[in-house]
Amino acid sequence: MNDQNPIPPIPPQVPPPIPPVMPVSGPRSLGDDPAERVAVPNVIVAIEAILRQPRRVMFQLRQPGAGRLIAAMVFVSVVCSLIYGVVAGTFSGGTQLWAAPIKIAVGLMISALICLPSLYIFTCLGGSQARLVEVSGLLAGLVMLTTILLIGFAPVAWIFSQSTESLAWMGTLHLIFWFIATCFGLRFLEAGFSHSNAKSLAGFRTWVVIFMLVALQMTTALRPILGTSKTFLPVEKKFFVAHWGDCLKAQDESSKSESR
Amino acid sequence: MSALDELRPREISVLLRGEPERIAAWTGQWRVRRLALHVAVIIVGAGLYGAAMGWWRDPQQALYTALKFPFIILLTTAANALLNAMLAPLLGLNIPFRQSFSAILMSFVIAAAILGAFSPLMAFLVWNAPPMSSATPSESTYNFIKLTQVAVIAFAGITGNVRLFQLLSRLSGRRAVASRVLFAWLAGNLFLGSQLSWILRPFIGSPSLPVEFFRATALHGNFYENVFHSLLQILHQFD
Repeated sequence: MNDQNPIPPIPPQVPPPIPPVMPVSGPRSLGDDPAERVAVPNVIVAIEAILRQPRRVMFQLRQPGAGRLIAAMVFVSVVCSLIYGVVAGTFSGGTQLWAAPIKIAVGLMISALICLPSLYIFTCLGGSQARLVEVSGLLAGLVMLTTILLIGFAPVAWIFSQSTESLAWMGTLHLIFWFIATCFGLRFLEAGFSHSNAKSLAGFRTWVVIFMLVALQMTTALRPILGTSKTFLPVEKKFFVAHWGDCLKAQDESSKSESR
Repeated sequence: MSALDELRPREISVLLRGEPERIAAWTGQWRVRRLALHVAVIIVGAGLYGAAMGWWRDPQQALYTALKFPFIILLTTAANALLNAMLAPLLGLNIPFRQSFSAILMSFVIAAAILGAFSPLMAFLVWNAPPMSSATPSESTYNFIKLTQVAVIAFAGITGNVRLFQLLSRLSGRRAVASRVLFAWLAGNLFLGSQLSWILRPFIGSPSLPVEFFRATALHGNFYENVFHSLLQILHQFD
């Protein structure tokens, strides 16, 4: 019998692809992890999520009903900035105990609000597909993360405010704390935009400079936040660099008169 | 999907992102609702920026500039529409009148949207500056505000023209043709726009002059005559 065995099927020339351990290109898309799909029901969960699972917040901001999450983040931001404001107000005491919290909370909210339109425009120019609601949510996340971190710095700020009388020193310290906290907030914002198909981050970086300048100017526009004054708001208009220069000059003169 | 559903303010983000396929398709259609939306964005965006610009001098000046700024943009677009539509085919881009008109209007919509977004920042800047009317602001403050205005308007204008160039490249398929058409359109719009701005001055206002919608000398001379006289004065200084 010359029966031949049937020819076995030819194995494929190309070996089957091995599933990659890490994604080959780009960041993992939001919502890949089931934990990111869990809703954020209240403010406590929102605080925990932005610290431990920022991607969960980013994912939820893209879902219908993101307005509630944004409102919760704004609420946390206001409460945290009021608490930090009380700590800042303890430096001078008296009316500053209620004036400083109001000024810090209002200043931060107004800064975010007046920078929101330009942020949206810059993200669109960069090719991002993020909607206005999502951009607003990411900005609210930035402010919330900043103010939460400021709460973390509050005990240190309080200890220093009780042990020094130097306005310039305290002002510098608060600015350093604010700068560090804002850097973390901006990192969250940038991570959010990296998931929105943005082709360029140049516009976003320009906006970061604008936001920093506006926030710094706000501290001068609403002065005094640390020191004391007869009026709630300043009578004289100044740019923040000029104000800082005046503060340092006054500090220098007072230290010279003390040494005499 | 109805026509009403298709036309949303979200279209403005498509313009800002510069998605050439969709924008090119829009310029080919003549929709009154879309046109109304674009005109509305110009009125609101440029108007808000104009208000922030004039506010430093006086609230009344803010109102006047809010009216004049969008008016200049719309008047320039309308007055040059016929010329621009004729120049495009002559320079190698064979598009109908409505398409050239829509393309130019859309570039102004982008600029106006950017200006509108910057208006809160400009208002904040002006609010922090010493008032122009009551006290004499320092030279550096005045120059800083003026330069910031120039920078923002230049950024808005450049962005609008970059998007227009991308659209023209898409429509013509050749960058050289797009460059020629854009340059011709820009030259015409700048020529007319400068004169309209001259007639409708002041925008920021001067502390030594009264607040008014038009200067009494609005129609005396023109922008280019003035530039020429200024050049002559500079040259006479060297005599």
